Amino acid sequence: MISAATLAALPSARPLSWLLNALSVLFGADSESLAEDAVLELVERARAGDRAARQRLYRQHVQRVFRTVRGMLRSDAEAEDVTQDAMLTALTSLDRYSPRSGIRFAAWLTTIAVNTTRRRFRRRRPELTATGELPEVADPSSDPAEDVDLARQRAALLQALAELEPREREIVSLRYGSDLNATEIAAQLRMEPANVRKILERARASLGERIEALSKPRGAAA
Amino acid sequence: MNDAEIMNLWSALEPPSRRRARIETRVFEWLEASETSIAGEWFALLKVEPLTALAYASLGAVVLLLSTPVVWIAGLLLT
Repeated sequence: MISAATLAALPSARPLSWLLNALSVLFGADSESLAEDAVLELVERARAGDRAARQRLYRQHVQRVFRTVRGMLRSDAEAEDVTQDAMLTALTSLDRYSPRSGIRFAAWLTTIAVNTTRRRFRRRRPELTATGELPEVADPSSDPAEDVDLARQRAALLQALAELEPREREIVSLRYGSDLNATEIAAQLRMEPANVRKILERARASLGERIEALSKPRGAAA
Repeated sequence: MNDAEIMNLWSALEPPSRRRARIETRVFEWLEASETSIAGEWFALLKVEPLTALAYASLGAVVLLLSTPVVWIAGLLLT
């Protein structure tokens, strides 16, 4: 998929870029991820009571939170509840976030999301779905062949995740869902960065192998 | 699969637009509710606005003032 940044660089594609941005705002997500300074400015404004800044902050991070917790939980419905709780906790506790501690806002938010997920784990033993879930309603503008591909990839990823150890699943979710580096993950999980890198390497290899095997059409295996 | 490929694949876990809209509605409705005072909620519930309330109170006072002598005279006539 072409990013909005690439489109913005092309003069003739600028109207299309505006359209993409407008659509993404309409559907509740910011297409462009902001630099940390801009995020901190939003945090300051939101703390001062600026509702537009709070909404922008929400839209900048909600997808990241959802895809991180989705990797750890068994269903979209659970991920929806956890995302909702985590975003509420974060937006009502902005005063507790201190950028001086050297933690990115996204990493702080991920800590809240992981803690919310763990509380849910304690309430009920999680079981990842083996097959994943198809999107609830097909987007009328999307290509059906692409939808099938996406659903297949999604199912393969969820199946592969289900076969990982819980700790590995948590680490890969933080890495690929939240885009955290090994040091940030280690700080979150109170582990050594070297240990995180080792687990990440192992989990990535088994995830890759499993996804490739599962993504092959039936009958294609030699 | 390398790091970038898995990262790209992970985007398949993003919520569909309907689910995203539902989460956003719930979060912001809750925030809105938590920021509204209980008195404000009651006023909103009863649809009482300060000027309308003042108008009703004035009207009530006028009716009371006018009806009191009428009731008194009616009482005298009946007895």
